[in-house]
Amino acid sequence: MSLWVDKFRPRALDDLHYHHNLSARLKSLAASGDFPHMLFYGPSGAGKKTRITCTLKQLFGPGVEKLKIDQRVFLSPSKRKIEVNIVQSNFHLEITPSEAGNYDRVVIQELLKEIAQTQQVDLNAKQRFKVVIINEADSLSRDAQAALRRTMEKYMSNMRIILCANSTSRLIAPIKSRCLLMRVPAPSDEEMQTVLTHVARRAYFDLPPEAAQEIIKDANGNLRKAILVLEALKMQSPDLTGPLTIAKPDWETYCQKVATLIVTEQTPARVMEIRTKFYELLSHCIPPTVILKTVAEAVVSQVDETLKADVMHWAAFYEVRMRIGSKKIYHLEAWVVKVMSLYKQSFYSLDMSDF
Amino acid sequence: MAPSQKSTKSSQPAGTDIRSFFGGSSQKQMPTPKTTQSSAAIGSNSKSAIEISDDEDMPPPAKQITQPYPTPKPSVDDASTKSMPAKRKSASSALNLKPMDVDSDDEPVVAKKRKKPTALLSSEDDDEEDSPPKKKPAAGSSKPKAKPRLSKSKDDDDAFSVSDEEEDEKPPPPKKSGRKSTTSKPLFLSSDDEDEEEEDEPQKKRASASGSKSKPRLSKSKKDDDFIVSDDDEDEKPAPKKAAPKAGPSKSANKGAGAATSNGKGKEKAKEEPAKPKFNYAAVAKARAAGPVAPGSKEVPNGEENCLAGLSFVFTGELSSFSRDEALDIAKRFGGRVVGSPSSKTDYVVLGDNAGPSKLAAIKKHGLKTLNEDQFLNLIATRKGSGKLDEKTRKKMEKDREAIETAAKDMEKREKQAAKEQGTSKTVDASSQLWTTRYAPQNAKEICGNKGQVEKLQLWLHDWSNSLKSGFKKPGKNGMNIFRAVLITGPPGIGKTTSAHLVAKAEGFTPIELNASDARSKKLVENGMNVNNTSLDGYIAGTRKSNDDVMITDRTVLIMDEVDGMSAGDRGGVGALNAMIKKSKVPIICIANDRGAQKLKPLIANTFSLPYSRPTTNMIRSRLMTIAFKEKMQIPGNVLDQLIQGSQSDIRQVLNMMSTWRLSSNTMNFDEGKALAKMNEKYTIMNPFEITQKMLGPYMFSSTSRETLGDKMEYYFQDHSFMPLFIQENYLKTEPAALRSYDGPPRQVKYLELMDKAASSISDGDLVDALIHGPEQHWSLMPLHAVCSTVRPASFLYGQGAHYGGSNAVSFPQWLGQNSKQTKLSRQLTDVQIRMRLKVSGDKHEIRQAYIPALFPHIVKPLMDVGASAVEEVIEKMDEYYLSKEDWDTIVELGVDDKKDDQILKKISAATKTNLTKKYNASEHPIPFHKATDLGKIPKKLPGGPAPDIEDAFEMDEPVDDVSEDEKASKDADDISKDKLIKAPKKKAAPKKDAKVKEKKEVKAKEKKAKK
Repeated sequence: MSLWVDKFRPRALDDLHYHHNLSARLKSLAASGDFPHMLFYGPSGAGKKTRITCTLKQLFGPGVEKLKIDQRVFLSPSKRKIEVNIVQSNFHLEITPSEAGNYDRVVIQELLKEIAQTQQVDLNAKQRFKVVIINEADSLSRDAQAALRRTMEKYMSNMRIILCANSTSRLIAPIKSRCLLMRVPAPSDEEMQTVLTHVARRAYFDLPPEAAQEIIKDANGNLRKAILVLEALKMQSPDLTGPLTIAKPDWETYCQKVATLIVTEQTPARVMEIRTKFYELLSHCIPPTVILKTVAEAVVSQVDETLKADVMHWAAFYEVRMRIGSKKIYHLEAWVVKVMSLYKQSFYSLDMSDF
Repeated sequence: MAPSQKSTKSSQPAGTDIRSFFGGSSQKQMPTPKTTQSSAAIGSNSKSAIEISDDEDMPPPAKQITQPYPTPKPSVDDASTKSMPAKRKSASSALNLKPMDVDSDDEPVVAKKRKKPTALLSSEDDDEEDSPPKKKPAAGSSKPKAKPRLSKSKDDDDAFSVSDEEEDEKPPPPKKSGRKSTTSKPLFLSSDDEDEEEEDEPQKKRASASGSKSKPRLSKSKKDDDFIVSDDDEDEKPAPKKAAPKAGPSKSANKGAGAATSNGKGKEKAKEEPAKPKFNYAAVAKARAAGPVAPGSKEVPNGEENCLAGLSFVFTGELSSFSRDEALDIAKRFGGRVVGSPSSKTDYVVLGDNAGPSKLAAIKKHGLKTLNEDQFLNLIATRKGSGKLDEKTRKKMEKDREAIETAAKDMEKREKQAAKEQGTSKTVDASSQLWTTRYAPQNAKEICGNKGQVEKLQLWLHDWSNSLKSGFKKPGKNGMNIFRAVLITGPPGIGKTTSAHLVAKAEGFTPIELNASDARSKKLVENGMNVNNTSLDGYIAGTRKSNDDVMITDRTVLIMDEVDGMSAGDRGGVGALNAMIKKSKVPIICIANDRGAQKLKPLIANTFSLPYSRPTTNMIRSRLMTIAFKEKMQIPGNVLDQLIQGSQSDIRQVLNMMSTWRLSSNTMNFDEGKALAKMNEKYTIMNPFEITQKMLGPYMFSSTSRETLGDKMEYYFQDHSFMPLFIQENYLKTEPAALRSYDGPPRQVKYLELMDKAASSISDGDLVDALIHGPEQHWSLMPLHAVCSTVRPASFLYGQGAHYGGSNAVSFPQWLGQNSKQTKLSRQLTDVQIRMRLKVSGDKHEIRQAYIPALFPHIVKPLMDVGASAVEEVIEKMDEYYLSKEDWDTIVELGVDDKKDDQILKKISAATKTNLTKKYNASEHPIPFHKATDLGKIPKKLPGGPAPDIEDAFEMDEPVDDVSEDEKASKDADDISKDKLIKAPKKKAAPKKDAKVKEKKEVKAKEKKAKK
């Protein structure tokens, strides 16, 4: 009774529906016995993790599906306790160092060394090495990445690392050069359509192509989202015919509201109102970049043609600052004020020479 | 002259730049003078000041600007032409009313600034052409009307209309200019000629230019003349001072002249007119206001001493050339009294720009006389100390003096007597004593201030024996008699200890004082004072002596001084004291500074609280005068006031200051007093609320503010972690002062522009902050952070605001709360994610963004729609993803918008909720893992440093027994690494169990999985 996404997830490389040459390459790599460190990157919902799991299965057999979760406590240099969850099977182990925040270096150093120094005990294991999967590798701090460098070379015989990231831009070059880069692009519309049809067949119903198209359009290349939406729609209207209204997730509608607030009024009071809304989104774990992107897109759709470029320009400008800085709200707010100011100026069609 | 002028020039431009950067929002944008003027008043002021100075010799800075008069020609004609433009400019400036704003060249521009940018003409052009100036002044006049002050001038159509009031002040400037001009420039030669005529001129002008208006002017002008004369008599110093304040008026005169010329009536007149000198004054004033000038140098006519005696003033709004504090100082210096808010008793209200509406209302209501800045200065210059009021005040003063003399004599007598009594045995020479002891009050009546409280205290002591007899049941008159102790609280140096001692003496009690120099721990307090006569020690020893050689009798009063100083060494002291108070048979007087201190909480209930407040200046002054008289020091009353205020009514401190001063000098004047008070200033740390209010308030960045950039940054450093947060939280709540001259749509645009600048500066600040607190810790960037995060944003948006002085005070930064909420929810989300991990591949952001909305219809919505019957179904679904009830709560809590937790929870009936909890707890659930914390078995000592090799680890274990067991355990457990970590000998039992339990659980989970 899991959700369809999880229920019908492909378990083997052969079951994957798209990126067939990628699958083929992974398969041959797994068979070669000379398995490199790898870096999987691509947008979320493209199937990175699924491919990693499939590859592991190819490497080690069904044993990798027996997962257990463990919690480890590390001590930071300042004697603070850091709890890290580790998902592992007998053959691999998966960590998310970003859970440790600024102390991810400690986790990488200690945990990896420990694993690297341990040899595979299971004589039945197909491979002599263990695999460590590092999730959210693009949020690794620089220190942690530096800590990875040497480990990746030194302990090659006992351990392989698979990094999983959305983008390689935040990874330092030495790491990239030590990995085989595997780009997992978002599926095309046709590919998504096949997957959706497949899911529908597995769930014993027929998916009208129009509905599928509708869902694909909404999902924007995120297959996970598409399947979740499909299931939600199926719950709503079992026959999936007629006009479909795809319910947006709560945070997305909230961002839309913020955009409307920006466009309808440009006053300090309105900025304060938006600030509260931003705080709410942030505190409810919506990443600031996602907020900025969603709001900016919504604003762009509502403003005059001449302003669109500027709005996006400043969104990009402040997104960079947000990444560098520490208090995201400042930059979000600065962007809002900037957009308001631009909007007002264009409204009164004043010259924008000094912007 | 020339070199000095040049130097000043260079310095000033820099000043303006900085100012524009921080203070003037828009000035920067435009390189041309017009733009600057249009942008911000501040910027204009600075400019104008510079230009003005050019005309005259006295203000050296002025020269630089003189572009309009680049070639000073000796010929009268040239001078006249030049003077004309100057006049025009001055006129326009006068219209504006603010002397500061008016520049000779830029004046028209200035006017425009405020209202219309288009009108601006370059000053240079004006000089050359006669006709353009006319336009400018007119424009200026129209603009000034908008302002309240200008209202008078409104009626007049022409530039001439320049307010009569201003004219009064004209005369003084000409004189000065005359003197100076002769010395300095050829231009001024012409002015010299004018100088002679000057006095006549203003009158003529007025008469010619505005017949109708002339009357008042004339009268005023006369006054001015007298005034001027006096100035001449005075040293040169005063003249410059005057010039600054008078600049405004002089301009007005010029204006009139300029206007006349423009009309074509009297170019000659215009020439003759002393316009240039007047300009100079204005320029000087501006320069002073704008630039960082030494505080003593700017002011004020040399009025007679105490010429304002008996008058009370209220200052409101922003004066153009003085900051508020300075203006207050001036009033006080001449003996005036300054009151906070206008009442019917107020003599004068000195009105500045942007006066508070409530004060204006009060002025109307009481029909008070109002002065502008120049009139105020004029008043000082002209008013003699001999009026009716003065007679009254003189009588009063004489009386005071007599009183002081008698008091001093008394004091002397007493001292002599004391000396006699002590005689030869133990002479303590009075002159060798500290003044604080020497002039300590000798009886309760001599205590300054807090009379009521002292009386209460006395009455309580007086009734002590009765209340003791009655068992503290009768409250008595003040309700004090049910207490065995009183707690006196108040700031230092106002006589708390002294009054306690004096009262005790007066009531025949022997005071025993214990202060912070005595150990006052619980033990000592309990044993040391045998207050309850529980010990027979005293009887046996023959005398009733306590450990401390303290005689406790029933006529003893225990004074516990500095109770809030009972610190770490006095452990339990306050508690013991409190216990003692409960049973005490002797009165106890506790003394502390801060009543609200946490430490004093226990005492509050058992003591009568007697808060002392700071005595007002009046209360202290007479006594200090007496002392000063006796010490043969000559310190005027207003100087003493200054000292008292500077020390915040701390009598002890004032006495110390005086005794130190006495060593070097017998007299003290106002400025010395001020300097002394400043030197002894108590360093007060303001809290972030106050600082924010100050930073964003209307005065910090106003043109008259004397705070340097460094001063402003200093505020940040008072609390560098909070200030940026406070500024960010509150910067949008102001009514920016930079927007005063805007209206309608341009205002909105401008407002947003300012906000944008402030917001992007705050954003910059965050980047700097990231560098400071990042891995590289660039602490040296803190000044930059101060500017980016605090000073600069405030400089754009400072002004009167909803928060300013109003009820809607500065709010505490939300960021702190929101951030901790974010951390908490993020941690919970991590928990959810890791539980779901066995089924779901996504990271926690995916969980939040995709899964939670998708799970919502499965695990929350049924409860809302169906109710309790859906509980089974929901629990089944939760088990599917290993979610616990807490995770369910988290998922609900993470919703925003219409899925906000409180809204959702409202829609689920209480019965359903309890049902869910009950059923969930009753049934068994698959558990993906156990958190170490859940089992309460986190080993206390965790191995730090790099993970040891396994062999090392065993070595470490060897000295400990049970190694084999340990090994077994580790073999049993799946999780070798964990056990290794937990190897600390003490915890052996725990890890084993832990491991086993975990194993079981995992097995279970696996079984379940397998079934599926």
